Amino acid sequence: MFHKVLVANRGEIAVRIIRALREMGIKSVAVYSEADREALHVMLADEAVCIGPAPSTESYLNMESIISAAVAMKAEAIHPGFGFLSENAKFAGLCEMCNIKFIGPSASVIEKMGNKSEARNTMMKAGVPVIPGTKQPVYDAKTALKAAKRIGFPVIIKASSGGGGKGMRVAESPEKFEELFNAAQLESIKGFSDDSMYIEKYIQNPRHIEFQILADSFGNVVHLGERDCSIQRRHQKVLEEAPCEAISAALRTKMGKTAVKAAKAVGYESAGTIEFLLDNGRKFYFMEMNTRIQVEHPVTELVTDVDMIKEQIRIAAGEPLSFAQKDVKISGHAIECRINAENPEKNFMPSPGRITDIHLPGGNGVRVDTHIYTDYRVPPNYDSMLLKLIVRGRNREEAIAKMRSALGELVIEGIDTNIDFQYDIVNNKAFETGKISTDFIETYFPDYVKK
Amino acid sequence: MLKDLIKQYRTEKTVKKPNFSRIKTGVNEAKAVMPEDEGASAKVKIGGKSYTALPVPEVPDDCYRKCNFCGKAILNMDVRKNLYRCPKCGGYFRVHAYRRVEMIADEGSFEEINKTMPFVNPLSFPGYENKVQVMKEKYGLDEAVVTGRCRIQGEKAMLCVCDSRFIMSSMGHNVGEKITEATELATKEGLPLIIYCCSGGARMQEGIVSLMQMAKTSAALKRHHDAGLLYVSVLTNPTTGGVTASFAMLGDVILAEPKALIGFAGPRVIEQTIRQKLPEGFQRSEFLLEHGFVDEIVGREDQKEVLARLIRAHDRGRISEAAKRFVKEGTALFGNAGDNKGAADESGSAWDRVQISRSAERPKALDYIERIFDQFMELHGDRAYGDDGAIVGGIAEFCGMPVTVIAEQKGRNMKENLKRNFGMPSPEGYRKALRLMKQADDFGRPIICFVDTPGAYPGMESEERGQGEAIARCLYELSGVKVPVLSIVISEGGSGGALALAVANEVLMLENAVYSILSPEGFASILYKDAKKAKEASEVMKITAAELLSLGVIEGIIPEETPASMDTIDGLSAELRQRIGQFLAREEAMEPSEVLEERYSKFRNL
Repeated sequence: MFHKVLVANRGEIAVRIIRALREMGIKSVAVYSEADREALHVMLADEAVCIGPAPSTESYLNMESIISAAVAMKAEAIHPGFGFLSENAKFAGLCEMCNIKFIGPSASVIEKMGNKSEARNTMMKAGVPVIPGTKQPVYDAKTALKAAKRIGFPVIIKASSGGGGKGMRVAESPEKFEELFNAAQLESIKGFSDDSMYIEKYIQNPRHIEFQILADSFGNVVHLGERDCSIQRRHQKVLEEAPCEAISAALRTKMGKTAVKAAKAVGYESAGTIEFLLDNGRKFYFMEMNTRIQVEHPVTELVTDVDMIKEQIRIAAGEPLSFAQKDVKISGHAIECRINAENPEKNFMPSPGRITDIHLPGGNGVRVDTHIYTDYRVPPNYDSMLLKLIVRGRNREEAIAKMRSALGELVIEGIDTNIDFQYDIVNNKAFETGKISTDFIETYFPDYVKK
Repeated sequence: MLKDLIKQYRTEKTVKKPNFSRIKTGVNEAKAVMPEDEGASAKVKIGGKSYTALPVPEVPDDCYRKCNFCGKAILNMDVRKNLYRCPKCGGYFRVHAYRRVEMIADEGSFEEINKTMPFVNPLSFPGYENKVQVMKEKYGLDEAVVTGRCRIQGEKAMLCVCDSRFIMSSMGHNVGEKITEATELATKEGLPLIIYCCSGGARMQEGIVSLMQMAKTSAALKRHHDAGLLYVSVLTNPTTGGVTASFAMLGDVILAEPKALIGFAGPRVIEQTIRQKLPEGFQRSEFLLEHGFVDEIVGREDQKEVLARLIRAHDRGRISEAAKRFVKEGTALFGNAGDNKGAADESGSAWDRVQISRSAERPKALDYIERIFDQFMELHGDRAYGDDGAIVGGIAEFCGMPVTVIAEQKGRNMKENLKRNFGMPSPEGYRKALRLMKQADDFGRPIICFVDTPGAYPGMESEERGQGEAIARCLYELSGVKVPVLSIVISEGGSGGALALAVANEVLMLENAVYSILSPEGFASILYKDAKKAKEASEVMKITAAELLSLGVIEGIIPEETPASMDTIDGLSAELRQRIGQFLAREEAMEPSEVLEERYSKFRNL
């Protein structure tokens, strides 16, 4: 087991990891940028190292500084959290070279799953269902149009290295296809220096379902059930829940087995997520694999009673999984709302600044993961997520009621937040009846997705 | 490399916790219980359990290096993946000879020749043999250059690569010998030659014998050139001294890597001699490009592609194959020329056309070039003084046939016009054109010229450098090339400055272009002593396409339905493409002597 672990992240996930380390009796090293001198993760860690100026490229993405900090502090492992270097194959490889355990899968698995075309091919070979689409990347609009016609409209155009909606377009018909393709490709070239694109069938009103898996270094793989992350705004998740209303026990078993097969196919180790699209006919297709701990992992923790961060650390230290698939019981229902420093009225413009006052809800079945405190100044340099509010009830109805109550109590003063927007979502009738799909916000809150 | 940073982090104090001094962080703190003996058996107590301590993390020495340009820590594996350039600042590191071969030659295609050569010590210089022996063992190289046959994107070539690690790749007898033998073999086997140059200069330990290598290599290159074969030299950092004064500067095409130091005398020698500090960028590739000694600066990612394209553009087989195709299928490919010389709309006055030809809206030469030709590669410099922006030239493909393209280029806006000098060429522009014409003649490529100039630049510097001589030399040489020459006057054909690119088998004009002895303003001020009478002058000067066609000065007119603009350029380019194709199909059916004679008699009769 590691005696000291460096946490290469900031915000609530850094706090979450430091707490898990402390519970396990492992010392923690925080790293921070000049803008984060007063951040909570710095104060909670046993040791802290300033690794550079505010821009993340010079601090949280600066591999040299982070590796040097781990060596200087004699930390035997690095937990990358999510975002930043968490899915950077080069960084994982570098850790390996320097005798530092990267808490996550190996560099080669990250690389393989990070390239969407390759991930898809791997999954197809393993017999995991994928969305019909181009097997090879396409580079020009004419070839792409031919492929699109073969697949059948509507199609979605995606950048091979894309993410978060960048380099992505939906084409309803052949007429505007070339224009959309070129726009998406340009975005990809600008954003990721990559012009390889692919085209696939666009599934209308699907649910975004993801299966949480845990795999140890002995080849044991279990899944912890699914999360429904359909409530998204411009491909960014807003609210997540577990389990998914639309998935029967039988379907869960089937999809879970597929997820485990997918993880085994790439020789996965650590916590990971297999994302699927679930269509109205209950057919599911592999979308991508996330090779990191995810923002929404707490909903799975609340319905399975597994501490995923601790499991990740144990797995990284070479211990076998402490439980088998048959031990995984899903009980109750959990919902997570992401609270961000942003103004929904102003096109979700980030709203950094000083938090003047704060009141957190609590009580039975309410969990708050956050790094903010009164007088904390939210820096403008990073992701705007402030807090994750997670509730667990015996069933979905109770969970919704609890979330309404908790959101109602939550107060963050001094900066703009999306609390009211979340409150509107959990009070929406369609949400209440469970009729959700990835176009939920577009349909019920059209004002919030205007360009 | 990361040692300093690690040290700094170790000595920095753990941060203070100003706001939350009462938080207890050490509640379950790990208690390290280190026994007296160190190493593997060290135990550590974590969460109540005892574990064997894990190895201490450290950064391996070969993992990182310091960039000698930006000083940042960079990963060695990134440097390799990035073609030996700094992944942070893009600086070019020196490349080992065999790595360079891997970067340029097709996989498995390199056949080394003269891998070893007996050591020579012409001056019996003490300690020299030992020094060479040390180098051989240290770097696994026999000498400072590696030579051999290879393929580049399938094209056969002879490749020589210098390695700066070996006594600064100085040119001793064996270096000269290996390059000379490779050159001779290339001549014998009809192969193009590519030399990656890099050198500190002569090898001091070999004295005068080293100096003689300059003559030896140059002489071998002369024979290679006279056999009609292509030599491309690629200058890398640093190329100095005797190598610069011999094979490095003798390429038919000279390429350079960005920011490479290239010069005859080293910068330190110059500074000591003139007792001045040299300016930033002096003797760098970009400086040489500006001063006309380098055709193009090519980054490592493009070098293989550029070399392959150059070889193809100088391949006589390709040219004659395309020529045969043009002759055989000319009508099918480009339509029938017939007797249609094109007609001009009679309504416009000459003065109107003068105005139109000068319009800023009119497409410029490069606009046509990029539409008519494939893979245009600009070659820069006159190899003597500078690179004139008013003349662009280079090689391109026309329907699969390598051709040389030379054009007078006006700017599209004020900024570009300052670079292009408003399309008024200087002597170095004409000398660049001259160099490219000779090159085309040497390799059998037809020449296509685009004329668009108010006239040669009338400045003091132009006279100092011999404007008249430069233009005269163009007329002289162009009249004697054995390849077909086509000139197209696209807008303004002003005087001798235009004629320098128009001693052609055929001259075509766009309908609204003008071509004249000098500008109507100049004409009026000489004859009427009043430049304001330019309009009147233009009507009597016979400067329009229709008038020049009837005078027999030009052979054809490209009609413009509306004055040429970026809206109509695609149609005009398509028309020009046909006319060029028809021209080449006709000319390629003739013997070189007939082509030459046709051009001679055309001007003889005027």
